[in-house]
Amino acid sequence: MPTTKRDRGSPVPTSSTKPTSDSSSSTKKPLKVKVKSFHGIARWSWGTPADDVCGICQSPFEGCAPGVKFPGDDCPVVWGACKHAYHLACISQWLAGGKNSCPICRADWNFADDS
Amino acid sequence: MASLAATASPIKESTSAATKGGGESVTKRLQQELMGLMMQPSDGVSAFPSEDNMFLWSASLSGPLSTAYTGHTYKLTISFPPDYPYSPPTLKFTTGIWHPNIDLHGNICLDILKEKWSPAYNVRTVLVSLRSLLGEPNNDSPLNVQAAGMWEDQVRFKEIAKNKWEEEMRKEGA
Repeated sequence: MPTTKRDRGSPVPTSSTKPTSDSSSSTKKPLKVKVKSFHGIARWSWGTPADDVCGICQSPFEGCAPGVKFPGDDCPVVWGACKHAYHLACISQWLAGGKNSCPICRADWNFADDS
Repeated sequence: MASLAATASPIKESTSAATKGGGESVTKRLQQELMGLMMQPSDGVSAFPSEDNMFLWSASLSGPLSTAYTGHTYKLTISFPPDYPYSPPTLKFTTGIWHPNIDLHGNICLDILKEKWSPAYNVRTVLVSLRSLLGEPNNDSPLNVQAAGMWEDQVRFKEIAKNKWEEEMRKEGA
């Protein structure tokens, strides 16, 4: 698993963006926080070539598969024994359709041991 | 697989999320493909969505060099299923064509559009494959049996293909 420190492109919507006093306040409207600037200190990557895209959804590996909100741990990348990589969400949907082959090389699909 | 246990629960979540995304994400995908085709066209193929329906495209193929179809341009429709690219699009010739794997209604028999479909294909690769099918038919599984039987006799085949093309052009002109 890669480290999951994030920087540009994917500011993490953690609870710190919502004031904790919210629950005790009588108004139901949450306060909004505007991020004016931030300093990235680390960058994560799946170890796929820069700018490479998922062969199924054609979106960058370091971005999201369709229907997934956040990149990173919410949208992991997995490898097959054949060394082809896909977003977990994308290959899962392909396999769920009853197919058991790699979309690129047609080899029987097996998850790589270390993915 | 060390991390299987850790990833087991996200599998379900992300799959259902992707399924829910349905129409919207397919539309986005098709727009992305359209952009790619416009920025970097491929030789002899073109495709464009219909005015009011992103799931229905019109495409055209030009006959490859040194084939019975050289100099001809054929029109097709492409319709995309709601779960594209997990299921193949349906392609159909709207210009009549004399070809072993295409019937006289324009239906196409091509394995990658049926059981050999892969979600790694896209509009571009499908059209490029279809264009190469024109010059290299699979005569073992014909939809147009007469055309398949005639393939060996290229002189006659070309003549019929040309006649069919001219008939189609007359229809279009009329």
